[in-house]
This record gives sequence, structure tokens and C-alpha cells, in this order.
Amino acid sequence: MSPPDLGAILFTGAFGLIMIGILGIVISTHLVRIVLSIVLLETGANLLLMLSGYRPGAAAPIIIDGVVPAAMVDPVPQALVLTAIVIGVAVQAFMMTLVLRLRSVYGTLDIRELRARLERDLAQEAGIGLPTSDDAPDVAGVGTARAQGGDA
Amino acid sequence: MSPVLMFVLPLLGAFLLPIVARASTMAGRLFGPLVLTLNCVIGVLAWGAVSEQTQVIALGGFQPPFGIAFYVDRLALLFAIAVSLGVLLLWPDAGEDEAAQRENTLTLVLAAAATGLALSGDLFNIYVFYELTAVASYGLAAARRNGAAYAATLRYVVISSFGAALMLIGIALVYMATGTLNLAQLAQLAPGTLDGPLGLAAFVFILIGAGVKAELFPVNTWVPEVYAAASKRVAGLLAGIISKLALLIIVRLLVLVFQQPEALQILLTLGILGVITGELAAWYARDLTRMLAYSSIGQLGVMFIAFSIPGPAGLYAGLAVALHHMVVKPALFLLAERQGGALERLAGSAQASPVAAGLFILLALSLIGIPPLPGFWAKFLVVTAALAQPGTAYLLSVAVILLAVVVEASYLFRVIVQLYRRVPPTEVGDAHDGATLTVCAALGLALIAAVLWLAPLGNGLQGIAAQAADRAGYIEAVLPAGVSL
Repeated sequence: MSPPDLGAILFTGAFGLIMIGILGIVISTHLVRIVLSIVLLETGANLLLMLSGYRPGAAAPIIIDGVVPAAMVDPVPQALVLTAIVIGVAVQAFMMTLVLRLRSVYGTLDIRELRARLERDLAQEAGIGLPTSDDAPDVAGVGTARAQGGDA
Repeated sequence: MSPVLMFVLPLLGAFLLPIVARASTMAGRLFGPLVLTLNCVIGVLAWGAVSEQTQVIALGGFQPPFGIAFYVDRLALLFAIAVSLGVLLLWPDAGEDEAAQRENTLTLVLAAAATGLALSGDLFNIYVFYELTAVASYGLAAARRNGAAYAATLRYVVISSFGAALMLIGIALVYMATGTLNLAQLAQLAPGTLDGPLGLAAFVFILIGAGVKAELFPVNTWVPEVYAAASKRVAGLLAGIISKLALLIIVRLLVLVFQQPEALQILLTLGILGVITGELAAWYARDLTRMLAYSSIGQLGVMFIAFSIPGPAGLYAGLAVALHHMVVKPALFLLAERQGGALERLAGSAQASPVAAGLFILLALSLIGIPPLPGFWAKFLVVTAALAQPGTAYLLSVAVILLAVVVEASYLFRVIVQLYRRVPPTEVGDAHDGATLTVCAALGLALIAAVLWLAPLGNGLQGIAAQAADRAGYIEAVLPAGVSL
């Protein structure tokens, strides 16, 4: 039995990270978990990008003392991944800042509660009642919403 | 002067702005508008040269395909000028505190990144500019510093990061198949390497990634919340200007790289769904800001339908709708700043500010597509181009666009009726300030001017579309004498 191909393992890992990340974003209800899922998704994408320049058994693309290695990995994706990592870290830091701010304003990190608070705040600012299932845009209904909203 | 300055100046200006503002508050306030005006001048001066021959600018002197190239044709230059002009018109209200200064800085970064998106000819470079645009817009969206702004922005960041990661996966797939990221070289290599399922997968990943900003159907849920929670200037900027730049990336990739008919079918389907969901949600909206936000999703859907029509006819029609929306939507958002809030609170607005109400009618009629306003002409082009295509999907798209016109008319007329409802003088709200009205009036005049000079404008746009659709010309310009690896 031959040893498993390193490339195949890494590909599986990259797609696995991507799937875990997407699944995490979709099913998590806790904000920090969502942020961590994005980290996993980005790591998967970066790994995939690295693999696009991967060649089995190749050396790093550095010429030392004029000796050119027989097979070199493609350096371009490595430069790209470096950029992508920097962007990713910056955005993740920004996300965590927003999470902290949200926590201090609303006192919760549960996205269902946050969504309700956001909806209520926006409705209050606009001076309309909360959206309900029967919010048909008839003038009479809008009139009552105005009475409730007042001159906010 | 080289059009590359249009990208460099705002970026440099963004970093200089805090220093200048520290030396003199007056200079700090004028600095941003000055840079953007200079940008517009550079763009207009370069127009003549670019009309004759497209320019390829190798950054750092590294020739493509080894270095990153900026490709400047009339389409790219048009959008670069539109970015500078649009940001200039929507320049944030001058304040002198540090928060206002940061907002100015971010706005300049946004202008630089969006210009970069218009000019860049390298896939990864586009990704970097796309992220830069995104990060600048996160800051602007959260600038109001209240709970709603934070929550809406976080939702936007999550969806946008998700999209960016998918875009990166798409880029990785493209690189695996071709080993290059230069758009011209990709165009050369695509017929043999990217016309299979792998290429289609890469297209879908990049489409969803860029679609977040372009308000594409499944990834546009952030739109109403961010536009409602952010200031209306920011909403106008994102809906009017930035979304079109994301659209431009998709169009470039469709023309140059992804030529399979399935790619166009996907775009068409998502466009139709965008029109249906956007317009229906706008009809249900009960406050003006979110109504405009949903209507912008619908309009972007019309653009996706237009750009899914192959050949120069589709490009021409899509370009007309995009330019029209670029003029109308920021002006409507600016008017909504004072007339915002629930629809019934609009009552009496015409008493407070008859000019603003008149402008609203002009803009709304053009948005619906009432002849002879340019909005009619733009939609007419999309419909005729779609009817010329075989297949029921295009027929369906025509039906959807025409139905959307009825829905749009229904909700916008509802607003207009509210504007002119008479209320006791004590309940009349605030009038618009002069600066906002001037900008809106200028955009309204642009619409009327477009009616008067419709024929030359149409010819110009047709020329731009023909040049943009010229795939061989792009390759020839970037890689002369068939450079190949």
C-alpha cells in the first residue's frame, strides 16, 4: 500500500476547512463563533491558494550560491497568501472590535436577540411600528403607526 | 498626466489629510474635495488620449504578465471619473472634530480603492482593492456609533468577509487552471483551460464574492439595514457608486475570461430573482430609506439582466442603466436625509421645500422609466436587447422588468402623494439645506441634459461598449506581440 499523497491530504484539508467555516457561519447563533468560522473559512481559502502553487517534492524558490534547484514551488501564490493573511487579520480585528462595542451597547452576543434589537432600533428611528406579518402598506395602518411612533 | 494618478492622489491624500487638518482646520476641510476635483480634471484631460488608444500602465515598470498592469479604456476611465465626481458630490458634511476627519480620510480611501477597481487588470490586485473598498465602507457604515450602526455593520462585515473568502477560492481555482492572474493572459488561456466545470465553479465563487457589494440576489441581505443605520450620504455612496464598481469587475471577467453560456445563464437567473425580491420588498417597505435600498437591489438586478445579454448590445444597455442609477439613486438618498423616516411623516414636505419635492418627482419618474426621461431609454435598451436573444429565460426577464416598472410606479407614487398631502403649518417639517439641494439639482439637471443630448450620449456609450467588448483588443494592448509563457 503506497503512502497517501501529501497533496491530496492537503486538498482535503483545505476543502474541509472551507466547509466547516461555511457551516459555522450558517448555523452559529453566537457572534464570536461566527467570527471564528470566518477565520476557518479564510484559512481554508488561503491553504487552497497555497496549494495552487504546490508541486510534490519541490524546493523553496531560492537560488543559493548560484545553484538552481531542479524543481521549485511557485512563489506567486505564497506572496498572494501573505497579502490575504494580512487583510484577513485586519478585518478579524475590526470584527472583534465591533463585537465588543455591540456587547457594551446591547449586552448580548446572541444574533437572534441582536437582530430583534436592530430591527426595533431601526423601526424606532424611522418612526414606524415593528414589521409584522400583516404589514400591508395601507394608509390606515401607516396612520396608526404614526400615532405610536410619535415625533421620535 | 497619467490616469494612474487618479488612484494615487486620493490614497496619498487620505494619509496626508490628518496632518493637513492639524496644521489648519480650513485646509483640512477643503483638502478632500480639492483632491477629488483634481482627480476629475485629470480624468477628463486623459479622455481624449484614451478615446484614440487604450493605455496600459505597467506599475513599477514591470511589464505584464510579470507585473501588475492598469488597463485604461474608456469604460474604466468613465467609471474612475464617476467615482471621483460621485464621492465629491457626496462628500461628508464638514465637521471639525476628529471623528469627522476620520470619516473624510475613509471616504478618500474609498475613492482610491474604487478607482483602483475600475483600472486594475490583474485578478489578485482586484481582490486587494475590493477588500480595501470593503474595509473603508465598514468604517463609514459604523460612523454613527450607535447600537444599530454597529449591528448592521457587523452583519455587513460577516457577509462581506464570507464573499471575499469565496472570491479568494475562485481566484485560487483560476490560478490552478491557468497559472496566471493577469486578465489579458487569462483571456488568452481561458478557451482551453477555464471553459469546463472548473472554470464555471471559479466564476460562481468570484460572482458571489463580488456580488456582495453589487447587491446580487442571495448575498444582499445587509443592504437595507446598513443603508438605514448609516448616514444617507454613505448609503448614496454605496448604492450609487460602489455597487457599480463591483458590477464592473463581473462584467470585465465575463467579457474576457468566463465565456461559457452557463455563466450568463447564472447571472440572468440571479438578476431576475434580484428584481423580483428587491421590488416587492420595496413595495412592502414603510420607510423611505429602506424603500430606496430595496429599489436599488431591484435596479442592480436589471443591470445583471442587461449584462447577461452577450455582445456589445448587452454591455450598452447595462451601461446605460448603471449610469442612470448612478445619477438618480445618490440624489434620492440625499433628499431622503431630510425627508427620511416613515412614509406618513413625509406629509407636508412639499410645503416645507417645494424644490425638493419637485426634484424628488423628477428623479422618481426617471427611476420608474417614464419617457422622455433617461430612465425610460435605459430600460428600453435592456428590453430590446433581451428580446433579440433566443430562449424563454430572456423573455421571462423582459416580463419581470416590465412588471417591476408597475411595482416601482406604485410605491414611488405613494411617496409622491404623501409629499403633497397638505398639513397644518405647525406640522411642516424642516426644509432642506442649500448644499443638499444644490447637489440634487445638479444631478437633476444632468438627467435633463441627458434628455436633450440623448443621441450623442447614446453614440458615446455605444462606442464605449464596443471598445469594452473587444476581447482581442484587450489582449493585444496588454500583451503586444503575443507574449506567452
